[in-house]
Amino acid sequence: MNRRKRALKALHIEEPDRVPITEMDIDVPHLEALTGKTFTGEVSLQTSVSADRRMEAIKVEIKTECYRKLKFDVITCDLSAPDGWKSVRNPDGTITDEWGRVLIHDSRCKTWFPYRSIFQTPEDFESFSFPDPHAAGRTFGVEYMKKIVGDEMAVAAFIRDPFAHAWEMFTPITFVKWMYAEPRIVRKAIEKLTDFNVEIIKQLADLGVDFIISGGDYSEKKGPMVPVKYFREVVFPGLKKQVEAAHKKGIKFIKHTDGNVHPLVDDLANIVDGLHSLDPSAGVDIGEVKAKYGDKLVLMGNVAVDSLARKTKKEVVDETKECIRRASPGGGHFLTSSNSWYTDAKLENCLAMVKTGRKHGKYPISIFNELY
Amino acid sequence: MSAYLQQSLKEIQKMVSELAGVESIRNIVVKALSSGVNPIDVVDAMSRGLEDVGERYERGEYFLSELIMAGIIASEITNILKPHLEKSAEKPAGKVVIGTVKGDLHDIGKNIVIAMLSSAGFRIVDLGIDVPSEKFVDAVKREKPDIVAMSCLLTIAMDEMKTLIDKLKEASLRGGVKVMVGGRPITPQFAEEIGADAYGSNAVEAVKIAKTLISRGGCA
Repeated sequence: MNRRKRALKALHIEEPDRVPITEMDIDVPHLEALTGKTFTGEVSLQTSVSADRRMEAIKVEIKTECYRKLKFDVITCDLSAPDGWKSVRNPDGTITDEWGRVLIHDSRCKTWFPYRSIFQTPEDFESFSFPDPHAAGRTFGVEYMKKIVGDEMAVAAFIRDPFAHAWEMFTPITFVKWMYAEPRIVRKAIEKLTDFNVEIIKQLADLGVDFIISGGDYSEKKGPMVPVKYFREVVFPGLKKQVEAAHKKGIKFIKHTDGNVHPLVDDLANIVDGLHSLDPSAGVDIGEVKAKYGDKLVLMGNVAVDSLARKTKKEVVDETKECIRRASPGGGHFLTSSNSWYTDAKLENCLAMVKTGRKHGKYPISIFNELY
Repeated sequence: MSAYLQQSLKEIQKMVSELAGVESIRNIVVKALSSGVNPIDVVDAMSRGLEDVGERYERGEYFLSELIMAGIIASEITNILKPHLEKSAEKPAGKVVIGTVKGDLHDIGKNIVIAMLSSAGFRIVDLGIDVPSEKFVDAVKREKPDIVAMSCLLTIAMDEMKTLIDKLKEASLRGGVKVMVGGRPITPQFAEEIGADAYGSNAVEAVKIAKTLISRGGCA
């Protein structure tokens, strides 16, 4: 079966020939190890940090080569910064992105990630010029990926969830401070970020992406980061708007979140088409979610990233088999790790997960109680 | 203590535990101090309020945002009390040297732990992120803390925690300081394997553990 078709079947909660396999992302050191290529450009898992199109094209090419080599069924792609945009270089070595996030560089993982914020007061936000979703070049990377991938794999485009985006833009402590003292600012940020995403989703769908993955966490290890009531009142109405925008264009919408998502699953099952991560390190039981919502939610997960980093190959194989046993029957399951292949994941464990998925993920699933 | 003053302290405790607005808490604390309430009694009332917040978080009634907000409120109260407490020479609950270990630049969890420990009366020496073990050792020599607290989010940085414990032993400093660890990939088993004294799975637990470590009397 063609890999894209395999992914699309799973996306429609049907059983393809075998469970589709992918990763939400792979850190640059692993991309380099798997392809033998070197990448010298700048990347971040959360945002666009450069509009250097030559480097962006090279990154897309290396990632595509890597996903091809692994025979992944889905490839993921990020939004681009607009043509001509340049990050602000700060004297302390950090950079500021289009959204006012100050990012710090992790040389080991070869990535930039949010560290501080330019927003110190509500006035800073009020006077902030919001990025334009229609700015030229915004979908450069996605267009280029679609061009070179064609129908070989399904293409999933990343957007940043407005709640998580605002949490990072303001930093968690300022977000919370304003959530109580200046609730209007936080709501306004989430609404504006939602409007931005709706416009982006329309463009992505017109480019032919197969589905959207909304990145950014709702939960930490113990539970949701803000009260469930706040999600219902402030976050989920915007989430619904984004899902509706995707559905109007005929594409599916998957929500990623790390952490313990159990308290939010009942709500999310009525909004989104699927969930990614289902973080076992935070106690999320993919089998439990499958039993309750397997007929309406696509599940992407959930071999623990900690297992990929710390456990033996044999343990990863067993965990992968268990994941398939609990989540794959009936379709609607994509085998992935519980986040992405971080630099600290052992490559042999990552490859063992893929190999096991290919061997034991054939439909009809026949791993039943052999582990017990 | 007059009934009015007792009522003020109860009100402060309740306002902290129910996360009342910062402005209204600030007003009541200022009013209580000008009416003659002992600042140490305000600290006690605030601590009881924070304990309640921690318990609600552990029971799943409060969420991370409420934990952070409690830290913000406590920090406001502490700022008001600072000049009064300096006069009364109140001793801190303990001294903690804290940092995110080398190889890891994440600091959200560490900063929340710092906010909660500070609220609970601990004096904090924050070494920041990507902290090499040598810098921790130097800080232990210089600051003579009761506790060294290490945090990490990346699995790749976990082994740095063991490196620091080994270096503290080499420098004959390990006996004089307690070591607590935490962070997304850390487990109680890992903490035991590397020879840490304690593991905290969240900021509330970190405060409880720090208090327990101090009360055991094993600290310098």
